[in-house]
Amino acid sequence: MPHNKEMITGWGRTQPVAAKIISYDPTSDGTSPFLQGPAIARGLGRSYGDAAQLGGGVAITLPDAINSASIDESGHLSVGAGTSIDSILARYVPQGFFVPVTPGTRYVTIGGAIAADVHGKNHHVDGTFAANVENFELLAPAGAYHVNPLESPEIFWATAGGMGLTGLITSATIKMLPIETSYMSVETRRIGDLDELLATMIGSDQNFRYSVAWIDCLAKGGRMGRSVLTRGEHATLGSLDARRARDPLAYKPRVRLSAPRWVPNGVLNLASVAAFNEMWFRKAPRHRQDELISLSGFFHPLDGVRDWNRIYGSTGFLQYQFVLPDGKEEQLRRILERISAAKVASFLAVLKRFGAANPGILSFPRPGWTLALDIPIGASHLGLLLDELDQEVLSAGGRIYLAKDSRCDAETIAAMYPRLGELAKIKEGLDPQGIIKSDLSRRLRLV
Amino acid sequence: MFDAMHTPDNVLIVGGSSEIGIEIAKQLARRGSSKFLLAGRSLGAMQRAANEISSVSEHSSASVSVIYYDTVAPGSTTDLLNAAKAELDTIDMAVIAVGALGNQEEDEKDPASAQRVLEANFSSLAPDILAIANQMSEQGFGHILVLSSVAGIRVRASNYIYGAAKAGLDGFTMALGDAMVGSGVKVTVVRPGFVTTKMTAHMQPRPLSTSAHKVAAEALRAADHNKSAVYVPYAMGIAVSIYRHLPRSLARKIPF
Repeated sequence: MPHNKEMITGWGRTQPVAAKIISYDPTSDGTSPFLQGPAIARGLGRSYGDAAQLGGGVAITLPDAINSASIDESGHLSVGAGTSIDSILARYVPQGFFVPVTPGTRYVTIGGAIAADVHGKNHHVDGTFAANVENFELLAPAGAYHVNPLESPEIFWATAGGMGLTGLITSATIKMLPIETSYMSVETRRIGDLDELLATMIGSDQNFRYSVAWIDCLAKGGRMGRSVLTRGEHATLGSLDARRARDPLAYKPRVRLSAPRWVPNGVLNLASVAAFNEMWFRKAPRHRQDELISLSGFFHPLDGVRDWNRIYGSTGFLQYQFVLPDGKEEQLRRILERISAAKVASFLAVLKRFGAANPGILSFPRPGWTLALDIPIGASHLGLLLDELDQEVLSAGGRIYLAKDSRCDAETIAAMYPRLGELAKIKEGLDPQGIIKSDLSRRLRLV
Repeated sequence: MFDAMHTPDNVLIVGGSSEIGIEIAKQLARRGSSKFLLAGRSLGAMQRAANEISSVSEHSSASVSVIYYDTVAPGSTTDLLNAAKAELDTIDMAVIAVGALGNQEEDEKDPASAQRVLEANFSSLAPDILAIANQMSEQGFGHILVLSSVAGIRVRASNYIYGAAKAGLDGFTMALGDAMVGSGVKVTVVRPGFVTTKMTAHMQPRPLSTSAHKVAAEALRAADHNKSAVYVPYAMGIAVSIYRHLPRSLARKIPF
């Protein structure tokens, strides 16, 4: 197993640490990757905070194994866990299959998608990534486990959403979604305020497989919550024009730009973000239906700019994502008001309505509203503001998303995820010596 | 561990009764740091500081422990590291706020007391800093803030013993920061001008003097931005960069 010591961080680039990187290939390496001290699995480093790093310890990476992936006619894909959604789409979209759930970036591994139990714009219809996992192989210090939700529900639901703390997912079988075309048929609505947005999403999200709203977090007063709601379906063959119908499953995602290697701090400030938000809101159509958009344009627009996290400068950024249960719309409004009053610029603010929760111990989604905000590090009051928002979220019965967290505290997380004790017990069986840990699990005392 | 705002959980203050060290601890406690270890010679003062630090935040109270530490005492490096490992899970941030001004006129006549000033400010302290840096390197992360002084940037005749010690400390820690690149350990050197504290209470305040509160705030701001060095106040940096390049014959005549 080749290894070297490197500086690593999460996507937000906020907490760099030195760790030993071990490249472990489960198909050829006989020796356990857990013999070199405390360790955590690391995929493509897209979790925002410190979930996939362990300062002074080991980060285990797996190779992208797309070339040894296999799929049956009904769309069951068996694949090495280090394989990225990017690789899977490049290979299987032209064969008529899409991943059942994708987060906002395709640069995540299957192992990472299960460990964070990622959700997408279709959560209200299809649930999380784990809902579409038939089984996976888990390598833990105590042994190797074949895990599926029927025969080994404890390990399955401790691992799905478990942030890598139960072991190393080495491969998985997932149920892919058959598609006729590589296009999305999209409805876009410009919406003037929060009330209208919530009412529209409650009223008609169920008519669309995919739905998400972009919110202008700097808009205040009567315009608070002004937003662009985008909802869509996979386009059918019949809905394509002649040009597109010639190659209905064409898939050529392009990376058009690359962020410069160095960007001064403060480029994304209140003025630049306000200008962007104004432009973004105004360029959206009041109401447009049946627009054909490519898969990557619809699901992964930010992947078009390589290393876009660098535009936040050397101090980095964080993403604050929480969920509030249905019926807590007033609390959602209050939180939005506080964010817009606090003038912390958020370039990317996304609201989504979640469907049912699953049994995952640390799985984030539950029915209600989830808001995700990208915020640059810099404002001196940011830490206290978010601490206060945590308490609002907690008292409304909500919680924050561990894959995004880089700053919450152990007591608050324990109150938001009251089943940590169950996780610790299952982990005890899989990892009796406590070898598996991450900076996230140490900071939040998760296990 | 650090959070995204570069606020450490566990903080070691070496020179635990220094006003600047205590002020940094208070500001960190306000930001959410949860555990402090004060290491210094004055147990009573540190105990009082511990109470202030733990009651600074209305949201949560930090836990503060105190150990006797004297950098010139034999075995002090090992004792300090062992206490830090026992009290703090990881040394996330270490603030080195040890300083002894000495008395230039007397120290000039007494080489033994000059040696004590050199040891307390530099030659005994540097190994302690090194030990902390090595421990942090093993952790894969950590940040060391070292209180240097403008007196060490161009050493002057009026306090050349203290100044030379600070010059040594400054050079040592700046280069330590370079050596630590890639290890996860960051080093920030803080160079205050004249700070009105109990250490300087008997002296006349000088131009561009500053307060412990301001030094602490600027030190933490520099750390947040991963700066290798910072002058407090900012104007002092400009003044010093001019002064240090003056010809010796001219610099000698500037009366401070």
